[in-house]
Amino acid sequence: MKIVGRNLLRKEGMKKVSGKAQYIDDFSFPGMIYGRTIRSSIPCGEVAAIEFKFDKKGFTTLDYRDIPGKNVVALIEDDQPCLVEKKVQHQEEPILLLAHPDREKLLQAEVKISYKQETPIFDFEKSPKVFKKILIEKGDLQVGFAESDLILEGEYRTGHQEHLYIETNGVIAIPENGGITIYGSMQCPYYVHKALKVLLNLPDEKVRVIHVETGGAFGGKEEYPSMIACHAALLAVKSGKPVKMIYDRAEDMAATTKRHPGIIRHKTGVRKNGELTAVEIDFLLDGGAYATLSAVVLSRGAIHAAGPYFCENIQITARVVMTNTPPNGAFRGFGAPQTQFAMESQMDRMAEALSLDPVKIREKNVLKKGLTTATGQVMEDDCSALTVLQEAVKRSDYYRKVRTYKGTNKGIGLSLVFHGSGFTGSGEVYLASKAALELTKNGARILVSSTEIGQGTRTMLAQIVAETMGIHYEQVEVQEADTNLVPNSGPTVASRTCMIIGKLLQRCAEEMREKLGKKSPKEYLKKYGPLVITKQYEKPPEIEWDDEHYQGAAYGTYGYECSIAEIEVNPIIYGIRVNRVTTAVDVGKAIHPILAKGQIEGGMVQGLGYALLEQVEMKDGKMTNSQLTNYIIPTTCDTPILDVVLLEKSYRHGPFGAKGLAELPLDGAAPAVVNALRILGHDIRELPAAPERVLESLLSRSNIDQRALSIGR
Amino acid sequence: MKPFRYHRIKTLQEASHLTQEPGAVILAGGTNLIDMMRLEIMNPAAVVDIQSLPLNQIETLPSGGFRIGSLVRNSDLAFHPSIQKEYPVLSQAILSGASPQIRNQATVGGNLMQRTRCTYFRDGISPCSKRNPGTGCSAEHGYHRSHAVLGISDSCSATHPSDMCVALAALDAQIVLEGKKEKRTVPITEFYLLPQNTPWKETALEPAEIITAVDLPELPEGTRTCYLKVRDRSSYEFALVSAAVVLEFNQNQIQKARIALGGIAVKPWRVPEAEKLLHHSTPSKKLFQTCAETALKGAKPKKDNEFKVELAKRVILHALSLASKTKKE
Repeated sequence: MKIVGRNLLRKEGMKKVSGKAQYIDDFSFPGMIYGRTIRSSIPCGEVAAIEFKFDKKGFTTLDYRDIPGKNVVALIEDDQPCLVEKKVQHQEEPILLLAHPDREKLLQAEVKISYKQETPIFDFEKSPKVFKKILIEKGDLQVGFAESDLILEGEYRTGHQEHLYIETNGVIAIPENGGITIYGSMQCPYYVHKALKVLLNLPDEKVRVIHVETGGAFGGKEEYPSMIACHAALLAVKSGKPVKMIYDRAEDMAATTKRHPGIIRHKTGVRKNGELTAVEIDFLLDGGAYATLSAVVLSRGAIHAAGPYFCENIQITARVVMTNTPPNGAFRGFGAPQTQFAMESQMDRMAEALSLDPVKIREKNVLKKGLTTATGQVMEDDCSALTVLQEAVKRSDYYRKVRTYKGTNKGIGLSLVFHGSGFTGSGEVYLASKAALELTKNGARILVSSTEIGQGTRTMLAQIVAETMGIHYEQVEVQEADTNLVPNSGPTVASRTCMIIGKLLQRCAEEMREKLGKKSPKEYLKKYGPLVITKQYEKPPEIEWDDEHYQGAAYGTYGYECSIAEIEVNPIIYGIRVNRVTTAVDVGKAIHPILAKGQIEGGMVQGLGYALLEQVEMKDGKMTNSQLTNYIIPTTCDTPILDVVLLEKSYRHGPFGAKGLAELPLDGAAPAVVNALRILGHDIRELPAAPERVLESLLSRSNIDQRALSIGR
Repeated sequence: MKPFRYHRIKTLQEASHLTQEPGAVILAGGTNLIDMMRLEIMNPAAVVDIQSLPLNQIETLPSGGFRIGSLVRNSDLAFHPSIQKEYPVLSQAILSGASPQIRNQATVGGNLMQRTRCTYFRDGISPCSKRNPGTGCSAEHGYHRSHAVLGISDSCSATHPSDMCVALAALDAQIVLEGKKEKRTVPITEFYLLPQNTPWKETALEPAEIITAVDLPELPEGTRTCYLKVRDRSSYEFALVSAAVVLEFNQNQIQKARIALGGIAVKPWRVPEAEKLLHHSTPSKKLFQTCAETALKGAKPKKDNEFKVELAKRVILHALSLASKTKKE
């Protein structure tokens, strides 16, 4: 292959490094004014009175009564209002919108809202309102526990995590052609398109959504841009002017979505030789005030809860509940980091209890060709759980290090995880995504709504098309995602863009190549006129899913990853230093190896933040540390040596064999680090493993004082 | 940011005159003030830019020791050969804070005057008596992991964020104040006030007064020092706990000891009771342990910051042990 598998220049690389790339705040339109959201300052209650403490002259102000269509941010359940009518369900909930040509004046405008307060629900274990429940059953748990030599229980907890994309949420809404046009930083233009149609009661063609260069997203710009776009659109419609809305960091952190906090309880039956006989898991998520995407986050989390292991008898119960906190939403990993942190911790605790090697207990239980997952999906040729495990063990020199680190303050721990590529269950069938390829004089133009959010969508898709058509990479252009110009390719989420949309484009490219025959594009266009080839997702016949019973093939395929973390704990000051992480990842096919490695490395560091540093502090249902000075993420100084090995177990329905890879490192980072801590005697069952949690564990051990003075910083 | 008047002044008298106005503040490096103004935590009526004053010298004092001009940049101070040689604890402290860009811009006077990183103070909304007198303290019943355990009151437990000032406290630095009729010097420990029930009053600085210099007393031959800082991540981060120790040695005996703590107190925190234990003593682990215990005796931790008490003891113990092993060149 000439193009796929090579590290070509990013399509927008020069623009980005030279500062020419235009992000949303770089745009301006004639007559443009600025928008601002007035938000609730209580977690639960009713709006009693609103008092404008400024001269409204020159301002556009509006509330829910100005909404022409339905007051809802349309997504799945449609339960989240665009603007509060009376009932406030969480802090920072949008109530009013203001706009003014002068940004300073806008920010100074004071609105006083009084409330009738009600008792909020913060403790998600006690929440009576369940958004979604899932039950996955396989075999017979009682039989499994009866066959076991050891039954081990454990409870694991994970906290919120903030995406912290560098570019905050922002859009510009322009009232034009009797409808609305949105420019914005986002992952999913067609989600925004759908939400606006419902809100403004407009037909398809009156709503246009244009994706502009986006400075990071990580799931944080999956559903939230619909909200901010709805707000800007309402102001634009009422004022008749273009309206720009850009959140500052504090607003973005406090008001937008986070990773769902979780509690995962395990009860596992295992034989003396390490073989799993029964896996019982109860999984609880805090959804926040509205359902938004919680049901599907729960679904992915539950399906991944038993890890990449085989067991005859499995029961997974899962539910996501309501609390009076801002809705939690999509975040890289989507429920699977929570459950796989628990499963991987449980695996190491079982190994410890049975005096088994953590590698051996995993080798004993890994999924292999012919074995079935919790939902009964039969593994095929490309199941690589064992391959990535063995590769990482070899590459990291695991056994030698286990020996040399013994008795020191260094530890080594591993995690083995998998992640389904594409939408869960029948999701891809419902999406029925489309991709199109247009013949140009010089080659071809890609028409998809999949967005470039820093991960390399344009580059990778262009490589697939160029390789398939047998033309140069430079001959392939990528149309910016504009709902007037590109078909609905579904959202840019779920590790699906390469595998699903890449495949659709490959099919387009194959047909275009055939059609062209020996003709050049120019000759073809001259003779036959324009050519656009559109393909729609077709479900491979063997993928069968039963949504009601959670049985069958939950995903087309899975990516696999084994991470081995080497850490050092300073016993004086509880500081944890991650020195090296070796990661073996099966990506099916690395279309662009540097971008693929970059995704793994970036995700790994984000995962290390989740493991060790990141804590969202809530007070009265509001994030109090919504400032970069108080929400701590890793810096380059905290970044360990990252050794990423890409393995390629080809998936037959992926373009050139490619699977999804973006979310894997978020699943694997935290358990690898926590298992390294466990080997050092620190049994951490809650993320992040902050100094105070390691301290508790340190103080419960007796040998500290002897070591205190012997190890320096 | 709210509108304000801007004055660029050429003389100390001018500056002094202008800062008498209510709501006037001094601008030096601006790394903290501009941040505070952007967040609208500080909304000064007038900003008096003193950057053109000739206060950027580091000179030796006739009595021994050094005088550091208040406009000396943090980086210039940290990398000054005499400071590195005579007061390594000060260089270490400065270089453990902020980022190179900030240290290149921030001044000594600005560092002394920097405001707390308390999340409630900085969010501009939560009740906070330091920001809005009389509104109470949100950390009292809220999350308070980053808050102080020493010197706190019901109305405030915000920490002083500086690393430099912790070292200055251990060095018995004197703050030189000018602008009123009489130039005066105030020991750094008295320069900062306890919050008590007036947390908005942070320093002894009076209207019309400007910090012009910091005086460092000469350290006797054989003094050993150390700055040890613990933080959540490896750079660009404030202290969970830090300790500056200055030990005056004679042969293998400690003659005098000074210990200052950061990250856990409302101001750069000296521990005289603990220091006394070390005077005229032979260093030993047991002695250091007793010293650390004594230093934290007055600590008033709450649930989320309780770990910092134990952490501080360990940091003191370790800093003392490291300092007693380092020989002054």
